Amino acid sequence: MGSLLRTSLLGLALAFAACGGDAGPGEGDAPLRVALLTAGPVSDAGWYAGAYEGLLAIRDSLGAEVSHQQTRTPAEFDEAFLAYGSSGYDLVFAHGFEYQDAAMRAGEQFPATTIVVSGGGRVAANVIPFIFELEEGSYLAGMLAAGMSESGTIGMVGGVEIPPVQGTFRAFEAGARAVDPDVEILEAFTGNWDDVAAAKEAAAAQLARGADVIIHNVDAASFGVFQAVREVVGMGRTAWALGMNRDQNDVAPDVILGSAVIRIPEAFLEVALALQARGLGGEPIYEGASEGVVDFVLNPALSSRVPPDLVGSMDAARERIRSGELAVPRVPFVETESGIR
Amino acid sequence: MIAVRARLDGVVRRFGSVEALAGASLEVRAGEVHALLGENGAGKSTLLSILGGMLRPDAGTIEVGGRQVALASPRVAWALGIGLVHQHFTLVPPLTVLENLALGRRLQPARLGRTLTRLRAEAERLVQRTGLDVRLDARVEQLAVGERQRVEILKVLLRDPSVLVLDEPTASLAPAEVASLFELLRGLAAEGRAIVLVAHKIDEVLAVADRVTILRAGRTTFSDVRSKVDAASLVRAMVGESVTDVAAAVGVVVVASGSARAAAVGVGVGASVTVDDAARRRPGGLVATLADVRMHASVGRPALEGVTLEVRRGEIVGIAGVQGNGQRELARVLSGRSLPDSGSVQLPAGVGFIPQDRTLEGLIGDFDLAENVALALHADPRFTGPAALRWDAVRAEAERVRTRFSIVASGTKAPAYALSGGNRQRLVIGRELLVASDLLVAEDPTRGLDVAATAFVHDQLRRATETSEGPGVVLISGDLDEVLALSDRLLVVSRGRLTPVPENARTREGVGALMLGDSSAAA
Amino acid sequence: MPRPDRFRLGAGWVGAGAVAATGAVSALLLIVGGYDPFEAAGAALGGAFGSADAFLSVTLVRSIPLMLTGLAVAFAFRAGVWNIGAEGQLLAGAIAAAWVGLVGRALPAWLLLPMLLALAAFAGALWALVPALMKVRLGVGEVITTLLMSFVAIELTAFVVRGPLQEPRGVFPQTEAIAAGARLPALVPGTRLHLGVVLAVVAAVAVAWLFRQTKLGFRMRAVGASPEAARMAGKIDTGPVTLVAFLGSGALAGLAGGVQVAGVTYALYEGYSPGWGYTAIAVALLAALDPLWVLATALLFGALEAGAAAMQRDAGIPAVWAVAVQALLILAVLALDQMRRRANAGSAGV
Repeated sequence: MGSLLRTSLLGLALAFAACGGDAGPGEGDAPLRVALLTAGPVSDAGWYAGAYEGLLAIRDSLGAEVSHQQTRTPAEFDEAFLAYGSSGYDLVFAHGFEYQDAAMRAGEQFPATTIVVSGGGRVAANVIPFIFELEEGSYLAGMLAAGMSESGTIGMVGGVEIPPVQGTFRAFEAGARAVDPDVEILEAFTGNWDDVAAAKEAAAAQLARGADVIIHNVDAASFGVFQAVREVVGMGRTAWALGMNRDQNDVAPDVILGSAVIRIPEAFLEVALALQARGLGGEPIYEGASEGVVDFVLNPALSSRVPPDLVGSMDAARERIRSGELAVPRVPFVETESGIR
Repeated sequence: MIAVRARLDGVVRRFGSVEALAGASLEVRAGEVHALLGENGAGKSTLLSILGGMLRPDAGTIEVGGRQVALASPRVAWALGIGLVHQHFTLVPPLTVLENLALGRRLQPARLGRTLTRLRAEAERLVQRTGLDVRLDARVEQLAVGERQRVEILKVLLRDPSVLVLDEPTASLAPAEVASLFELLRGLAAEGRAIVLVAHKIDEVLAVADRVTILRAGRTTFSDVRSKVDAASLVRAMVGESVTDVAAAVGVVVVASGSARAAAVGVGVGASVTVDDAARRRPGGLVATLADVRMHASVGRPALEGVTLEVRRGEIVGIAGVQGNGQRELARVLSGRSLPDSGSVQLPAGVGFIPQDRTLEGLIGDFDLAENVALALHADPRFTGPAALRWDAVRAEAERVRTRFSIVASGTKAPAYALSGGNRQRLVIGRELLVASDLLVAEDPTRGLDVAATAFVHDQLRRATETSEGPGVVLISGDLDEVLALSDRLLVVSRGRLTPVPENARTREGVGALMLGDSSAAA
Repeated sequence: MPRPDRFRLGAGWVGAGAVAATGAVSALLLIVGGYDPFEAAGAALGGAFGSADAFLSVTLVRSIPLMLTGLAVAFAFRAGVWNIGAEGQLLAGAIAAAWVGLVGRALPAWLLLPMLLALAAFAGALWALVPALMKVRLGVGEVITTLLMSFVAIELTAFVVRGPLQEPRGVFPQTEAIAAGARLPALVPGTRLHLGVVLAVVAAVAVAWLFRQTKLGFRMRAVGASPEAARMAGKIDTGPVTLVAFLGSGALAGLAGGVQVAGVTYALYEGYSPGWGYTAIAVALLAALDPLWVLATALLFGALEAGAAAMQRDAGIPAVWAVAVQALLILAVLALDQMRRRANAGSAGV
């Protein structure tokens, strides 16, 4: 599925490159200039790593000139937008809600630059929230968790308690209860995205309370969650972890049953193509299961441990989500003229 | 034939543009006590630092045991058997004496206990042999300066050096301790060690030395065996041929040799000062009163146990005592630096205080002369505006102190750490005399000073009390000769109590006995 | 004795040495990592000084919080108060500033802005008061207490941006933008450079004047140089002087937080400070605690940060390298500072 999407996008890109591109910004001979801002390291094997891969995909597919900066503090946001805006970048991916205020200011100052804020909540003509409907993948994860749990208790470890994270957890809960209405679900937040020790501690606490499947949404700190699960498995218990944001199945192939994924690279490439083709038009971008950007992938190394009928009901749910038949819970947060969406 | 242990020849050492040593030589022989004499700033400390490996000479040769060596570091000097007792203390205050003795030794954590036990036995033997009174389990921070010095000496002796170098070891020792130290040094020399000793008091030099070397302005000007010198020739070699200088210095020498007080007053000030004995006998009004003052030392037993004292204008009240008997606390209470636990204290406005440790308490090394003078003036309305200090006025005052007290420094912007010991003391005294319009409390004011500088300090104290309008002076000193020579009234402090010295007991022996707590001498 | 004043000439020497040593080692590291040190240096220099905009909008803007916190550290250290909690005091100031900027919307700018800055300074001083009282009254060492108070401030920031000061929709852990009247005006129109830089320079001159000319400054320096001599020779009561050093230091750090909120971010976030209060220690030490030199060393660190960001953007060098280069500079500073001290001590024992 993922490779299909990738192939089709590449084909589109090549076709586009062939016809020279004459509609959007970055026309003519000048290459498209695309920048990425992250608030964490691109070595997190997750949220930021995916964005960085997307940036490289844009470079390789579209011949774009690309640049990346990791910012460490809100005081640097304005400066980074200033640097990219004033040197004429066409597209800036600001990969996190943190950037939204500075993005709004920069959007006003640099009308020729389009800023896409992942998880952002504010809209302007050239400032566009980029919303990944990861809830749709989390719902499937919830189904798997409840189906695989022997104890009837499952856990969720989050980073900062923000709507996109809350959304994934509400969907996870809904998916779990669809399989087992009586399942007990634990929830904890560490307050940041990079404290591996805190994440491990939170996961260990849930495992101690009987949880045997744990999902996370803590970005780089997810290693701590996997480690905590691995440790109880080492002591003879049966427990599983679930990945999030990116296909993390190979990060801890012995304990990760599967991952709720955003195909961030493909989504980024699609946004860049859309900008070149027609502009982005001041509307939030939603990418979910029906676009093939969000999905749930089983770890091939452990898929034999999952009962076939559970896999079957997950596949059925996926199709119902894609067709719009099944509405997964969301926590809306994008502020538009027509209200919060 | 006597073996030469160490020989320094033509040693030159510069600090910036100043030549501290300009061709100094020293020959140290086994079995001899070798005294090094010289005025403050003559280069004695620099020469010793070179011998101890702490400074490297700019020119000149050093031989140890007949071979030319480069004393690149204190460690090298140690390895060659040269042990240096510092003038400034190198002890760690929160540690006990025993722990300080263990510092610098190769310690294995696992065997610390055993090492300490062995060290204790060794130290106890040495203490017994030398008569150095050191409590091994006391924390260094509880010790007075004199006690700390004894620890320094003990620390070096424990390493059994073949050349033992002591920088002013007697400066803060009581007479009985000086005598026993000299006995020790003689004994160590008899064992075949070479002893080098910096001293200021000529009578001490004459008492202990086998050989005397004199430095003047960074050069060796004189070196000969004890039998060929006397007090007058040594003084002449030290201070040059200036008649008044010699007279002043000789006066002190005479005092130091234990002559009568009247002679000391008359001769000690030489031709330059006349003292109206009649005026001195009529002190003025009361300026300070302590009544039944009690105070605890930072640790342990009470430091002051009911002290009552009255000080009048124009008198010098001498207080003699062995270090650690409460004089430190007494000085602080009298100068208004500490409040007692109980008892009443009445002090005047203009109080000057010359603290015992001028390097640590009297001056700030990083501050220049003017800033150090400002320490005494920063609360004086004549030198301050609403918020700012009037630095021009302070600097002018500092310049007056510098010229009046002949402080050798490039100017009032010179930092205090660049001053020699004697000049530091001149600066402290000059500054405190500025503010001591009513009372001056001086704690060991001549400790570590050479003959001329000591004479100068004594002269200043006498001048200040010439008339009954002058300040009252409280002279707290462990130097018996000094208090005997200067005091109008003399008291002894022992175990936190003050005892007046009766007229018939005003001798070294009488006061010495009182200092050690023998009240029968006062009877 | 004719020796250079150890504060002023020494600082320049140490600074130059630190920069040279860091440059050499960083270049070596970059080569080892497979990057072109010349391209990196070009990008860094361009990002820090390459244009008026780079210098004014980036380098100078980044150095402002370092100037004020560097002053805060120098202020305390000169009086012998080892306040290493400028970070927490800055955050306290930032919280107060955000609060004033949010609740004071109705007030005119001429009243609102001074109020914001004053309250930020007050909050910083308040944050320093706890360790100050513990030190003066109970004799508790300030190194631990000031540091612990910083952790408290970090947690408090996280709390207020989720609780009382969270943006009205209650979605994101941050405050709403502060009122327009609470913002520091631009100093050079069209750049990000705000009035805070003037404030920092004025503060530095004021602190320098305090140390050099005033009774209070003299007493602080005396207590810092030698508490024993200050008590014995100066008859200075060290308690009040120490208290002033704590509070003044806290106020300067708090002001830094206020200036940052009012001049740069216009809002408070979780994880607000990247460690300005800690970098400030290096800034102050590199300046040998001289207030005017703090301006220069803060500028150096600001340029370094700006250059590091540009290295990422324009030379493709990862963020961790930039952090490594900064750590190298701090190490070089400390090593050279120690060498300078030894050189001085070697000739002091005449």
